[in-house]
Amino acid sequence: MSKTVTIAPVTRIEGHAKITIHLDDKGTVTDARFHVNEFRGFEKFCEGRLMWEMAGITSRICGICPTSHLITSAKAGDDILAVAIPPTAEKLRRLITLAQWIQSHALSFFHLSSPDFLLGFDSDPATRNIFGLIAKDKEFARRGIRLRKFGQEIIEVLGSRRIHTPWAVAGGVREPFEVSKRDYLLAWIPEARETALLALKTLKSIHENFSTDIPNYGNFRSLFVGLVAPDGALEYYDGTIRIMDGGGNIIADKIDPHSYSDQFGEATEDWSYLKFPYYKPLGYPQGMYRVGPLARVNICDYIDTPLAEEERQIFKAMAGQAEAVNNSFYYHYARLIELLFAVEKAEALLNDPEILNPHVRSKAMINRLMGIGVSEAPRGTLFHQYWVDENGVLQKVNLIIATAQNNLAMNRTVRQLAMRYIDGNKITDGILNRIEAGIRCFDPCLSCSTHAAGQMPLHVQLFDADHRLLDEIRR
Amino acid sequence: MVPKKPKIAVFKFASCDGCQLSLLDAEDELLLVAGAVEIANFLEASRRVVKGPYDIGLVEGSITTPHDVERVREIRKECRVLITIGACATAGGIQALRNWKDVKEFTRIVYASPEYISTLDRSMPVGSYVHVDFELRGCPINKYQLLEVLNAFLNNRKPTIPTYSVCMECKLKGTVCVMVAGGTPCLGPATQAGCGALCPSYARGCYGCFGPMENPNTSALSRHFTELGESNLDIMLAFRGFNAYAEAFRKESDAHE
Ligand code: SF4
Ligand code: SF4
Repeated sequence: MSKTVTIAPVTRIEGHAKITIHLDDKGTVTDARFHVNEFRGFEKFCEGRLMWEMAGITSRICGICPTSHLITSAKAGDDILAVAIPPTAEKLRRLITLAQWIQSHALSFFHLSSPDFLLGFDSDPATRNIFGLIAKDKEFARRGIRLRKFGQEIIEVLGSRRIHTPWAVAGGVREPFEVSKRDYLLAWIPEARETALLALKTLKSIHENFSTDIPNYGNFRSLFVGLVAPDGALEYYDGTIRIMDGGGNIIADKIDPHSYSDQFGEATEDWSYLKFPYYKPLGYPQGMYRVGPLARVNICDYIDTPLAEEERQIFKAMAGQAEAVNNSFYYHYARLIELLFAVEKAEALLNDPEILNPHVRSKAMINRLMGIGVSEAPRGTLFHQYWVDENGVLQKVNLIIATAQNNLAMNRTVRQLAMRYIDGNKITDGILNRIEAGIRCFDPCLSCSTHAAGQMPLHVQLFDADHRLLDEIRR
Repeated sequence: MVPKKPKIAVFKFASCDGCQLSLLDAEDELLLVAGAVEIANFLEASRRVVKGPYDIGLVEGSITTPHDVERVREIRKECRVLITIGACATAGGIQALRNWKDVKEFTRIVYASPEYISTLDRSMPVGSYVHVDFELRGCPINKYQLLEVLNAFLNNRKPTIPTYSVCMECKLKGTVCVMVAGGTPCLGPATQAGCGALCPSYARGCYGCFGPMENPNTSALSRHFTELGESNLDIMLAFRGFNAYAEAFRKESDAHE
């Protein structure tokens, strides 16, 4: 009898999801899927709201990366006002974007992933978490918790609260920075840098310990997509879109984010609420691409901070001649390189005297009826596009979220892991956790990706080789 | 004998996870809390699911599917004390904006096969299906208020959470009133305190993320908004925010539709 194994919900990733694994008569894996089953309806219920409210509303899409939505929404607002925001406002927005990277990347590594690595995939699931880590290595856990805190502190110092700050606005930010606040944050830098380096060192020893596991973690070629700076440097707030293939060739470059809809389409499947974005010239599903740390560190020409650049070169060398780093396990590595970059870059920004300039907001009325905002959220490129009327009332909203863009690649990863580890009818907790860990490489944020209302009940489907539905179970 | 640690569980429905993350955000307390209580069910942090019953259940998120309704009833049976955390669980959250729209239309637009989507017409507060012992406000909640509520329930006392308005917080902080001085419409007079009057300190009006205070005079506030030159649409939108489905705000927004 063929059967389906379901893991639900996937834990230690943000939000809820479900995985189904499809076996044939002999118990061999034929397919495995990552399903998302929460749906809130942002794009639709925002219609009729005012453009000015969007930064506050869309930040509620996600409690992990509210700041990314806030900033991207404010940028779409700048576009509608048709203003250039004051240089200091841009620097402050850059600083808060880096802070978002720091807190989110630290959370991903220390709180969510390192328990698997340091306590072992096959260790007791009851203690394989941040609390177990605290019990095993309190100092390591404490430093990780503090590094995330540093990111959150920057957000709180700038925006007065960590989650859903009303600080950014179309045209700039609401409040200038202060010397005392800057000095307070600068004092954190040496500790933060050291912890980021510690994380990298720890991860490298993990690479050695798990060398037999790693080749199975989503090791395949795909496109990589992200923003780069005008000179090709790693970018996080602005820039143009670059697309690289799995062989390391740049196949499209300097694409204006305004034309993103010419480049990327969104497919849907019956079995997931999460859409499947793809690169249009290659079609669906061949146009599979990855975004986020692995993509960004692959596509950039260099990183403009010294320690992170040194690390990037080691990363690049792993790929071999003229290849991109294609193994999804190295998302962790790329994420920690970015974490180090974010700390270094935050220091540089904090030391820039212009950041204290009191002029932080440009005011204007509605000057365009459509606006696009784009930035690099921790998990990848984030697009907000709004259509408004002359009074700024939203007519239509389109949001393309990082996690959705990784959807095809996450499914591919789950399939690869299921095929490698599931053998016959024996499914141990260690296997289940490896599959979850495969998904965690992408650090998916399901609150974000299900921005679209509610929750799908558990739903398991069985397919034959021709994709004919053999059986289905709902509960 | 060591006394048994109290068991706390965290449950999520439709939400952004921001409220439960406030628990992780209490960094300094996290290390302490880890020793004092048993976090029995906290999916955001662990796959561990310890069987109930639980001493305290924290529920985040709004009820949006028939399955949610069943699940929240099960959860209620397993928790001695049930506390809702945040605007989603307490009032239906920002996604309750869909309660004024046709959900079928939503699912058709974003989803190729809408027949697979099983969703209630509305995003509802947890309290409309089960008894809730305490409703903690905010979008997101204030982590100090969360710690206070946990402490209070663990020690069998009543939590001290202020129920006065944001105006009081402005006075305590010495923030100049944005409405009187700047003519900026502000929901502060009708909104429960808890944020430390964050928005007014940026010279911007409050948009009500802690929800209606006890017995708010929303109609007087609307009249004031009208005097400031606000249209009916503006007033409707102002009350229809993160706590749109909380009764006092819902009625006032409907009155200006
Ligand atoms: S109340 Fe606000 S912060 Fe809390 S879960 Fe809901 S949307 Fe997120
Ligand atoms: S909207 Fe009101 S309750 Fe929310 S942070 Fe602003 S002032 Fe506070």
